[in-house]
Amino acid sequence: MLPYLVVSGLTTGSLYALVAMGLVVVYKATTVVNFAHGELFMIGGFLAYTFHVLLKLGYLVSLVLAVAAALALGLVTERLAYRPLMRAPAISVVLAAVGFSFVLKGAARQIWGGLGDYMPFPPVVATPAITMGGLILVPQQLVVLAGALVCMGLFTAFFTSTRTGKMMQATAENAKAARLVGIRVDRVYAFTWGMGAATAAAAAVLMAPLTFVYPDVGSPLLVKAFGAAVLGGFGSLLGAVLGGFSIGLIENLAGGYINTSFTDISAFLVIMLVLIVRPTGFFGPRAVRRI
Amino acid sequence: MRALAGRRNVVALAGLALLVLPPLANPYILYVANIALIYVILAVGLNLLLGYAGQFAFANAALFGIGAYATGLLQVRLGLPFWISFPAAVVITTLIGLVVALPALRLSGLYLALVTLAFAQFTQWLMLNWERVTFGAGGFKVPPLTFGSLQPALGLYYLSLLLCGLLVAGAWNTVRSGIGRALVAVRDSEVAAEALAIDLARYKAIAFSLSALYAGVAGGLYSAILSFVAPEGFDLFQMVVQFSMVVVGGLGSVWGSVLGAGLLVGLQEALRAFKGGQEIAFGLVLMGCIVFLPDGIISLVKRRARGWEEPLRAPDRRT
Repeated sequence: MLPYLVVSGLTTGSLYALVAMGLVVVYKATTVVNFAHGELFMIGGFLAYTFHVLLKLGYLVSLVLAVAAALALGLVTERLAYRPLMRAPAISVVLAAVGFSFVLKGAARQIWGGLGDYMPFPPVVATPAITMGGLILVPQQLVVLAGALVCMGLFTAFFTSTRTGKMMQATAENAKAARLVGIRVDRVYAFTWGMGAATAAAAAVLMAPLTFVYPDVGSPLLVKAFGAAVLGGFGSLLGAVLGGFSIGLIENLAGGYINTSFTDISAFLVIMLVLIVRPTGFFGPRAVRRI
Repeated sequence: MRALAGRRNVVALAGLALLVLPPLANPYILYVANIALIYVILAVGLNLLLGYAGQFAFANAALFGIGAYATGLLQVRLGLPFWISFPAAVVITTLIGLVVALPALRLSGLYLALVTLAFAQFTQWLMLNWERVTFGAGGFKVPPLTFGSLQPALGLYYLSLLLCGLLVAGAWNTVRSGIGRALVAVRDSEVAAEALAIDLARYKAIAFSLSALYAGVAGGLYSAILSFVAPEGFDLFQMVVQFSMVVVGGLGSVWGSVLGAGLLVGLQEALRAFKGGQEIAFGLVLMGCIVFLPDGIISLVKRRARGWEEPLRAPDRRT
């Protein structure tokens, strides 16, 4: 039982990690936590469903299309909920994002809600479970885990190696200095939001074959990804990844050994405890008190 | 005209109308008016926490739910009468609100938002899964209330009106007192507040327990008016509805919250049948108001009529 729980924990954890990466990328550049991130994930899932199940396109094509569409949606989010509030206090920005997230949720309910509450997504690989030395492996999970790792690798490579990625890092480090050396900071912000949304959509497309897509999937996921990022000390991509895996593991172990209904709740309990006991997370630097 | 539309006259007139007209209203209008009173209580309480003390928490919808569940469960599980379980539920909710204040002593800003969001999800989960106590997803019926010779709906309306009046007056007096000034000092700068010998822990606890008290009263009344309690009314959308009311009315304005709650209950009722439509509408209202009218509707009233000044500065919209 333990190996199985660990594998499925790592699988869900990899998705939390991917979603948390998107949150951290946006936070690092703009010091704003995108409270509509969970809903961008949800929309990504529904787009993939539309492309793959309704329009019968291939899985990889659907993945690319959904990620591209989410990127555009991220740009829209930035334009509507962030740019007009650049000089406003954090509470306003968060409230605007919360408002936007409910617009997305309501829109999803209006557009796709009529199809039934929980929509099944066909598995990518239809091979039955393999047993390897007492270890049961569900190929679908392995595909998801591998896909998530590839996505993480691609995004990390993007941030560290490409010109645009380096501009994003520079802006995150010091927006004023970045502007001085000729980086168009506004564009970088917009693109950062787009990239954040794209990671969320990639996670959603990977997750869809494992679970269901439904309009309310976003908010619990936001809390878990946010929690993963906080566990990792908020602000480090590696920390977010480690935090995501930890939350996935904790959830699955609690669900397996205590009670299945604990799967959903253990993450929230851990997040509450960690924040109260050690608000700076486990992997990040200790926060400096700002006045 | 500008002088006549002052706060004193408007509040007196509105109060008189709310007192005299209901026996003439049809049952549906009476029900909507009662719901509006409950939301006024919620919005005013949340504004004390969010607009005055500047604590960004997502716990209010959950506390509203706890108030409703406690009022209902004490009646159904322990057989207590409403008049005992309602005050007891308010006390329970206030105490839980104090517990929520504990993390706020260490955390601020986004981290506080996250903890309270996790608390809200946890409460929702308890309502759904702790079936031995909460009856799970289906909810449960609450015994109907009687008010002597008075028609029950009307009696409940007057109870809500009385409590709403008391709590709004209480909030108005609180924000004009030293407590209100201390809360605003904490909001504007914790360091500066400490330098003025304001005990952060004490005033954060006061803000949280006050808003929890308001939410508890609102929850108890809500369970009585519906005679039914179920988990879905206390989810994150409930939180968005309350945020919208506070923001539309005006952060850091008691009368703004009264106004915002009254206006948005109408919107909610108009879209009662469409969950998706409600979400879109409230989302747009919240976003639009923050971007285009950051000081809320009350700022328009203040500009056009005399006598609506409030003692404390609203939070800074621009930094």
